[in-house]
Amino acid sequence: MLVLSRKLNESIVIDGHIIVKVVRVDGDVVKLGITAPMEVPVHRQEVYEEIQKNNLEALTQGRAAVSALPRVPRPKGDADTGVWPRNRNTAKKQ
Amino acid sequence: MNRVENVASVPSPAQAENTISMPMGLLGFERIKEYVLLADPAEEPFLWLQVSNDANLAFLVVAPQPLLPSYKPEISPEDVAFLGLDSAADAAVLSIVTVRGPNHATLNLKGPIVLNRRTLVAKQVIPANAAEFSVQHPLPVIQP
Repeated sequence: MLVLSRKLNESIVIDGHIIVKVVRVDGDVVKLGITAPMEVPVHRQEVYEEIQKNNLEALTQGRAAVSALPRVPRPKGDADTGVWPRNRNTAKKQ
Repeated sequence: MNRVENVASVPSPAQAENTISMPMGLLGFERIKEYVLLADPAEEPFLWLQVSNDANLAFLVVAPQPLLPSYKPEISPEDVAFLGLDSAADAAVLSIVTVRGPNHATLNLKGPIVLNRRTLVAKQVIPANAAEFSVQHPLPVIQP
């Protein structure tokens, strides 16, 4: 692992387009400002790993592999669940 | 009228599907960028997010808000910009379901999938208030 010393408000540049800046140092908490292109995901490592682990657990071998779905309460009324895609909804053309 | 009911009225095929683009993939599945969102009236309110070229890889998903009305993930401005969301009505939130046993499942509220319903581009996001939410929130079920 490359280890660099930085002072407050100093930065490092990664690959010419990602900048990590020390924004604040308060006791054992270091606040970092990260400037990266939109397509570069930046996450806290422990949160990333928690969600990654859950995604792996949730992956199924397809809909045929899940024999019975949980029985969930129906929302009252004829509420729009807001899920189905708009405009490109094939059903709407009928 | 309920959109999912509209889907049910399609004479053939009974199932509806839309290709969803996930340019960042799901966390841990970054290389898989194209999915198909499958809806079957018999499986309502659940949907399947299936890897587009592999029917043997699929995630069960559900819109969490009708089940958990207090769930309000705060989507970061960066994610709103990434998804090109112009209004809240264009966004659909889906939670990944982990089936853990008969009538027992959990929802990932910490890493929801946000879908732009106009462009069909989606991203698994970490909301600004993610610390309030669990990756294994119990799915409310009806006990027999």
